[in-house]
Amino acid sequence: MSDSTLPASEPNSTSTLLEEPGVLVAKKHHLLVRWSHWLNLPILLGLIASGISIYWASPVYQHKPDPNTGNVDVAADIGIWMCSHAPGLHHYSSPPDWVYNHMSLGPGMLALALRLHWLCAYLFMLNGMVYLAGLFMGGGWRSLLPRRTDLFDAFMMFRYYLGVPFAKLIRRKWLHPRLNTKYNALQRAAYFSIPVAGFLSVTTGWAIHKPMQLHWLAALFGGYNAARVWHFWIMWLYILFVVPHVILVFADGWDTLRSMIVGCLNKSEAVGVHSE
Amino acid sequence: MNNRAKIDCVNHESRTNETAPSVAVESVSVEKRQGLLKSDLFRELRSLPGPALSNPARLSVVWGWCYGGAGRRWISPATGYAPSHGCASNCELSAKEWFLNRALRIDDDVAEALYSGNRRVPTYTKSQITPLKNNYNGATPDSAYISGWNLTLDGLASGLSIPLDLRILNTRFSIHEQITRLVCVEGWSAIAWWAGLRFDDLLRAYPPMSQAKWARVESSVNLDDSGNPDPYFVSIDLATARHPQTLLATHFNGQPLLWIMEHHSVCWFP
Repeated sequence: MSDSTLPASEPNSTSTLLEEPGVLVAKKHHLLVRWSHWLNLPILLGLIASGISIYWASPVYQHKPDPNTGNVDVAADIGIWMCSHAPGLHHYSSPPDWVYNHMSLGPGMLALALRLHWLCAYLFMLNGMVYLAGLFMGGGWRSLLPRRTDLFDAFMMFRYYLGVPFAKLIRRKWLHPRLNTKYNALQRAAYFSIPVAGFLSVTTGWAIHKPMQLHWLAALFGGYNAARVWHFWIMWLYILFVVPHVILVFADGWDTLRSMIVGCLNKSEAVGVHSE
Repeated sequence: MNNRAKIDCVNHESRTNETAPSVAVESVSVEKRQGLLKSDLFRELRSLPGPALSNPARLSVVWGWCYGGAGRRWISPATGYAPSHGCASNCELSAKEWFLNRALRIDDDVAEALYSGNRRVPTYTKSQITPLKNNYNGATPDSAYISGWNLTLDGLASGLSIPLDLRILNTRFSIHEQITRLVCVEGWSAIAWWAGLRFDDLLRAYPPMSQAKWARVESSVNLDDSGNPDPYFVSIDLATARHPQTLLATHFNGQPLLWIMEHHSVCWFP
């Protein structure tokens, strides 16, 4: 993985060209990065599902009891709204029922939810270390570091993404900003903030898991109650990240998705635009 | 009703003995399915032969159910239903259970490694006291029962079972005060003014058996929805129990507690 032919300071050092007869490929993701990437899927799903179940034991965001259902939980309101509007949910009046029927988790299951959360939390921490190891062994960390030009580049990418659907509709050319780095500025910001979010999830998690022995850690986040709120909102960062992440990778095409499985990009399709 | 709170010192020595007595685990499950009382459950567990009692896997299960009991009693879902704690049809010690218990034990070891008896929990002033949530919704017996209340200590080095009433607890031990944060396993917290004897003093006066690693504290007062005893219980490791800020609280906000050995007096420990 480290047979880089380019100098280490070169931003493209993770996209080393490999010449093979027939097909040109560019190395993109280290094996450990790929493994940890996909392992995050079940782990984060388990953490979020069990986390919501734990949240229901003592919801932070509450309102006056609903006259019909007696519900006081804002998160449950969102669930009720989703269940009554999303097709295929069979008109569950209570989102806890839907969650329970699909996840075998729900309110009133704090014991199971906590054990599941801790299991997934330890796996998440291990997986984070695997990811970091892969990031450093493959040199991928260099592509994640913010750059001086990022603000302007991010604006250009944002403008591009906004314009693409309209350009497609009226069949006009809408040029992708030129890139000579592995990721564009928006990708870099997103892929840099996710490990940071992971770190914050873990630290706030410890702060609320051991609030007595690690009270200094809770104090860093503004106390126990605040650390709990931090922990809750950082969870939404993953969801906010995953939605455009999945949409864009499918919009971008099979090669990009495949590169996270096999580790290489097909160079003949990716000429000039490494991140695409 | 039976108004005896209990503290059992239990032993946790045979960490490798994981698969041996599945009887205990099954008895937990059966209890769960039939919705019997947890006090019965404990009688059953305690009547098991020695090795079974020292099986850590089962202890973890006890831990788990402890939370489950808490959850089931106190969390009111938006519209009620009663999931059977994810253990609907197959209640054997499945791979899932094994995995979850394994994680719980790793977490226990981590907690033990993190623990320092010298680390003090922050204390607060009286102006910082916040209201304490009542998790019982009135499902507690009349405070008149307190005159007959006593605390039974089991698992002692002497082999005796010692009943202690409130007068003994309040006069034989020095009473300590502290204003500390209570953090419930459910996630909410409150700053409260406690007074009581140090758990450490109790352990010094009545030393637990030498193999003991845990103290199981069982409430006397919780009632289930039909008014039957459904005691809350929690296990704390003896190192935590010996922390100078771990109290067996007898007073709350300067007043004697109405429900002794309940959630409030045992849930928090540094």
